[in-house]
Amino acid sequence: MERDREESVDLAQISLRPLQLSDVDDLMVWTTDEKVPKFCTWEPYSSKDQGIDFIQNKACEFLWSRAICLHDRAIGFILMTSCSATDQSREKSVELGYVLGSKYWSKGIMTYVVKQVKKVAFREFPHLERLEALVDAENVGSQRVLEKAGFHREGVLRKYLFFKGKSRDMVIFSVLSTDLNHQD
Amino acid sequence: MSNLDLSKISLRPFKLSDVDDFLLWAGDDQVTQNLRWKTCGSREEALAFIRDVCIPHPWRRSICLDDRSIGFVSVYPWSGDDRCKADIGYAVAADYWGQGIATKAVKMAVPQVFNDLSHLVRLQAFTSPENKASQRVVEKAGFLKEGLLRKYIYFEENIKDSVVFSFLSTDEFPHDD
Repeated sequence: MERDREESVDLAQISLRPLQLSDVDDLMVWTTDEKVPKFCTWEPYSSKDQGIDFIQNKACEFLWSRAICLHDRAIGFILMTSCSATDQSREKSVELGYVLGSKYWSKGIMTYVVKQVKKVAFREFPHLERLEALVDAENVGSQRVLEKAGFHREGVLRKYLFFKGKSRDMVIFSVLSTDLNHQD
Repeated sequence: MSNLDLSKISLRPFKLSDVDDFLLWAGDDQVTQNLRWKTCGSREEALAFIRDVCIPHPWRRSICLDDRSIGFVSVYPWSGDDRCKADIGYAVAADYWGQGIATKAVKMAVPQVFNDLSHLVRLQAFTSPENKASQRVVEKAGFLKEGLLRKYIYFEENIKDSVVFSFLSTDEFPHDD
């Protein structure tokens, strides 16, 4: 993996806040980068209108979401969705998703953010029992984020999703409210 | 335990005339306890359930012994972008447990389901970790155990773990042994 610079990031400069319309140019940096949505269902954006549409119409539809900021500039996005949209029996589960600009990969930023959001999830949603995440079996970097953030790897769901013309094996991870009592 | 001739087991859609046989097993708590079905309390309830749920269902079959209903196999496909997957469920009347009937029924259902549901790539089964008999059914039918999903299902005020299994369109269809 190439890196432009070997700079590490001072994690104290990483913060989470709601995404705003004024973040659109920063959002376009990661949404137009082909490397970023490689394992996502969406294609890289080709116009600023898509960025505006996401911020104004899509971001608010998630159960919870935040822009991941470095010096208050958005470099990524983290979200939670309810698992009960199609199945009432999944109402105690929430799914985590996240994306980060490729310039900021491999610096421990995502792990740092996920560790915080893990705690936020169980505080924000007191009835929550299970926080889960599904990662493409080929997306080793993202799997490492979750492992380092204290998620349990439960198994591989074969051909669980189908998008961009192919079936995807997804690794499923979870952290339970009861796991948190034994962690940092 | 008598040696049942499994060639007498068949799958077919439900009919209203199955109601009395249906009530024998759908009215039995032992059978419905691991399902999300409400135990049928009367002939009227059973009739309504067959008419309103079983018959219009995307893929539900009665497991029959000499054409009499003794259980069911159901496959519920997800919709939209998720129609590549579907969930399978099954149950057999308690009197017929332990004779390989559910296994036989699931083995028969698998190729039919992949034939009938054109976008299906993945058939998945979720079982309770305590229900070893149910896990053996899908294992013997060729499903692969993928993992234990902790506190996955919330039902009737209980949060439960689930063991997940899958059978893919690319897996080898089960043979009769």
